[in-house]
Amino acid sequence: MKPGRFEYVAARSVAEAVDALGAAEAGSVLAGGQSLVPLLNLRLARPDVIVDVNRIPELEAAGRGNGAARFGALYRQRWLESLSVPAESAPLLAEAAALIGHVPIRNRGTIGGSLAHADPASELPAALVALEGEVTVEGPAGARRIPASELFVGPLTTSIEPGELLTAVEVPAHVEGDGAAFVEFARRHGDFAVAGVAVALHRDAGGACTRARAAGCGLGPTPVDLSGAVAGLVGQSGLDDDRLRELAAAVAAGVDPPDDVHGSSDYRRELAQVLLVRGLRTAWARAERGR
Amino acid sequence: MTDTATAPRTDTADPGAGPASGDDAGNGVRRTEDTRFLTGQGNYLGDIHRPDLRHVAILRSTQPHARIRSIDTTGAMVLPGVLAVFTGEELAASSGRFHHHLPLIPTLRQIQWSVMAVDKVIFVGEPIAAVVAENRYIAEDALELIAVEYEDLPPVVDPEAALEPGSPLVYDDWPDNIFLYIPGSHGDVDGAFASADGVLRERFVHHRVSGLPLEGHGALGEFDPARGRLTLHASTQSPHMLRTTICEVTGLSEAQVRVIAPDMGGGFGVKNHFMREEALVALIAMRVHYPVVWQQDRFEHLAAGIHSREQIHEAEVAYRADGRVLGLRVRIVADVGSPEIYMMGCAPSVVTTGVLPNTYDLPNYAFELQCVVTNKCPIGGYRGFGQPQAIFTIERLMDMLADRLGMDPVEVRRVNLIADDALPYTTVTGAVLDTGSFNEQLDELLEAVDYRALKEQVAAERAEGRLVGLGIAQMVEPTAPNLHALAGQYGGFEMCMLTMQPDGRVTVHVGTKSQGQGHETIYAGLAAGVLGVAPGDVEVHDGDTAVLPYGMGTWGSRSAVMGGGAVVKAAEQVRDKMIAIAAAMLGAEPGAVELAEGMFRVGEAAVPVAQIASAAYLHTFLLPPGMDPGLSVVVGYDPGNTSPFPDEQGKLNVAATYATAAAAAVVEVSPNDGTVTVRDLTLVHDCGRVIDQFILDGQIRGAIAQAVGATFYEELRYDDGGQPLTTTLLDYTVPGFGDVPETRIIHRETPSALIGGFRGAGEGAIIVTPPALAAAVGDALRETGVTINQANLGPQHLRRMLREQGVSVDPLAAAG
Repeated sequence: MKPGRFEYVAARSVAEAVDALGAAEAGSVLAGGQSLVPLLNLRLARPDVIVDVNRIPELEAAGRGNGAARFGALYRQRWLESLSVPAESAPLLAEAAALIGHVPIRNRGTIGGSLAHADPASELPAALVALEGEVTVEGPAGARRIPASELFVGPLTTSIEPGELLTAVEVPAHVEGDGAAFVEFARRHGDFAVAGVAVALHRDAGGACTRARAAGCGLGPTPVDLSGAVAGLVGQSGLDDDRLRELAAAVAAGVDPPDDVHGSSDYRRELAQVLLVRGLRTAWARAERGR
Repeated sequence: MTDTATAPRTDTADPGAGPASGDDAGNGVRRTEDTRFLTGQGNYLGDIHRPDLRHVAILRSTQPHARIRSIDTTGAMVLPGVLAVFTGEELAASSGRFHHHLPLIPTLRQIQWSVMAVDKVIFVGEPIAAVVAENRYIAEDALELIAVEYEDLPPVVDPEAALEPGSPLVYDDWPDNIFLYIPGSHGDVDGAFASADGVLRERFVHHRVSGLPLEGHGALGEFDPARGRLTLHASTQSPHMLRTTICEVTGLSEAQVRVIAPDMGGGFGVKNHFMREEALVALIAMRVHYPVVWQQDRFEHLAAGIHSREQIHEAEVAYRADGRVLGLRVRIVADVGSPEIYMMGCAPSVVTTGVLPNTYDLPNYAFELQCVVTNKCPIGGYRGFGQPQAIFTIERLMDMLADRLGMDPVEVRRVNLIADDALPYTTVTGAVLDTGSFNEQLDELLEAVDYRALKEQVAAERAEGRLVGLGIAQMVEPTAPNLHALAGQYGGFEMCMLTMQPDGRVTVHVGTKSQGQGHETIYAGLAAGVLGVAPGDVEVHDGDTAVLPYGMGTWGSRSAVMGGGAVVKAAEQVRDKMIAIAAAMLGAEPGAVELAEGMFRVGEAAVPVAQIASAAYLHTFLLPPGMDPGLSVVVGYDPGNTSPFPDEQGKLNVAATYATAAAAAVVEVSPNDGTVTVRDLTLVHDCGRVIDQFILDGQIRGAIAQAVGATFYEELRYDDGGQPLTTTLLDYTVPGFGDVPETRIIHRETPSALIGGFRGAGEGAIIVTPPALAAAVGDALRETGVTINQANLGPQHLRRMLREQGVSVDPLAAAG
């Protein structure tokens, strides 16, 4: 369990990192290293060049402006769960981040790393899909933005091109009337979720739902957009039991979860229903104004 | 004859409770070894450095079942930093082969195997070739440059399918896939079934798990070509027995091989097998003349280490309307994976057949054991060694019989338990139970949990719709067994070398091998108690075959009984010689000498221990005429009450003594996700005389963690094509501290008749806890129609069982 040979480049700027990635045959970006290093040791990842981006301070920035919360790719998961900018501007990301691994993992793990790694069982990709966020990537041809709906292509696969570096993450900034929740089922504290559901909705001053979105992790080869199943909430002013049952049934019918050692497809489908309702109830209550 | 008087019990609800008070040897001593373990000063295999150490990495089969058409190692050999590359064929041609040492068992297929696969691989992970390089990085780079051409063969994965006519064969030259077949019938089983009021039939599935020591297997070999001597440092539970096997493979004599087992990060039975890799390291060290080391990584551990437990039981119980079990038939299909492991992977299954009657007076019992080879990792030992499966099955059967007859599970057990006054009791399989008081032990458990009230409370909660349940289980466990019947050699004894040094301090060498059990603490206490010195004056050593003639290691709950017995016996011999010296110095008869607090006394006159010690070496003119100088003995200890082989009826008493335990569990099942919350777990535990309750409680809690793991968290799985699916700790999930319930432990102390009164500890809790948890889960799901007939009660399994009974999730339910 030792990695194969690779060249190591400690980039000092985004430009340097992009250059190094461009010159590599199969370059990998080292951010927090919490997923990459185990894959290297198992020799499942075989990059010829590893570009360490940990010495690029501008990738650690976070802020709010123009209706968006923006996080540098190197923003640590531990900061997401514990600092004020994410808590106030992107509470769903904060809640999702707190469910990742253990504290030492989150101390190193980054928002950009988690999204670029695109593990379908991980939390942040599902949260990004639920929030309709987007990422910025920079490559030899300059910067471009990729919406969450186009980012995740398959297990551990994104639409980020070889030679491109994910530099920033943006989600709509939290406003009054927003309510979000991330709920998941994991076997042990710190485990990957067997299944998880992110919910993001908005209620107007009268309490009626004007936007309802949901996404799941552990339910498919990518984060699964469950928004179609919850669209019926829009215009509703209450969560009655019959409607929740309908939504749960719609989710159950709409997902085709994987079957693996942690859970059968049937089991995950059941969890998706339970988690969706729990997530909706929590998000609904959080969207109550004047709370 | 055993003294069955029961000492006052001690109750340790408080996990932080210290050692029991009293004058038991060792009490008051916290683990002396912990200072070095907890401050990073342990000396594990990975801490052993040599300036010219070379590293071995092993190429392992990617195929479950294939012929090896060719192996091309040229790419690896020319990689800079690579010292040598060995293939299975090369080493097989110049080394001995392993075998099971059981030529007398006619129904066991006699096989031999080499350190690595030669022309065929039979499981994913089987060693094919080995690279020796400057470091493990280069060695693993070189593995990628070895080209193996496989010719795939159909894999044999499911043990029951393996028994079907027309199944692919793991071995071309066998007529079927049966490695060992043992039928047994005791009493009049057919008569019992003919006269029964009813017959209960059930099938039980016991899944594949593995012991998971923090430190895997590993070995560091050094060869001195001038003297022809090999030193093998190995993380092994049984260094002397490993030496014997290493000699078979290397061709060296036992006088030329020294095995040293350094500090160990756990063993749990998986390190009581003699790995091909350990012998491989020895052979490579002899060939390259550099010290070489191989350390098992976690992939190697999970894919190609030692698995355990996979069995299927088809059981039939003939019963009378009053709950009396008249007869039991059990057909066992045991998946042993690749059988190419010594000690034999069938051994736990044989134990399963022997202990199935458990604590019950069950005179009519028949079994049929089929140990089936498959293209999977070898099965071997894991804490409990075949007993968890047996006790789970028999205890579940008792619960199911109670359900069928509308009786309380306690009452069905009462009808069938061996009577307290029947001891010693010879079970139908020949076990001579020297302990028991099973009714009294059960009483103690029921009283501790207030069974009647608890049962009502649980029923009331269930009436409110909560899935709450209560379950009990009990077990008797053969401890300190001999190995003749299962390993063909070694017997069942222990040795100790004890030396009173000239300064009055004591050196003890034992043949057991601590893997974290605190042996240094308990043996020092035992020796100190006999010799009248402080425990801190005793240095305990283990794990070095150069010092002690032989030893049998640590497994089978044997160390307190056999190692402790040997230490006490050795200490008594040295003490008796010191008394003789003291008597001469004090001018008294030896019978008049008393030893207390470091002084030998005759009336007012006294000589300190240290003065006797110095007389024995430094002032020998003080010794009685004709007495040899020195205060050192080497003793062997064998209680002598076991049989090496079964008698003509197939009965065998394999254990030096027996330990018992009973457990009660209260659980709540979450209907929406299938998770189980263990609300209460209470254990009554009787391992005879308790040496150190702090250490004992740690043993019990560790075993409970593993029981909870195997019940709710762990399973080693393969896909239908024979590829392992659980090769990292992301996929093989063991419980963490937060996942293990707090447990109340109540100690009974029924001394054995052996030296010290010990019965053996370490395994009881891993045997008795799963059936208690299963009973509680079964009780919780009583109204749903679910039958708990498998050992894996993980959440997705419970949800499947509920789904099959038409119980769908209720997303709107507040809980879950």
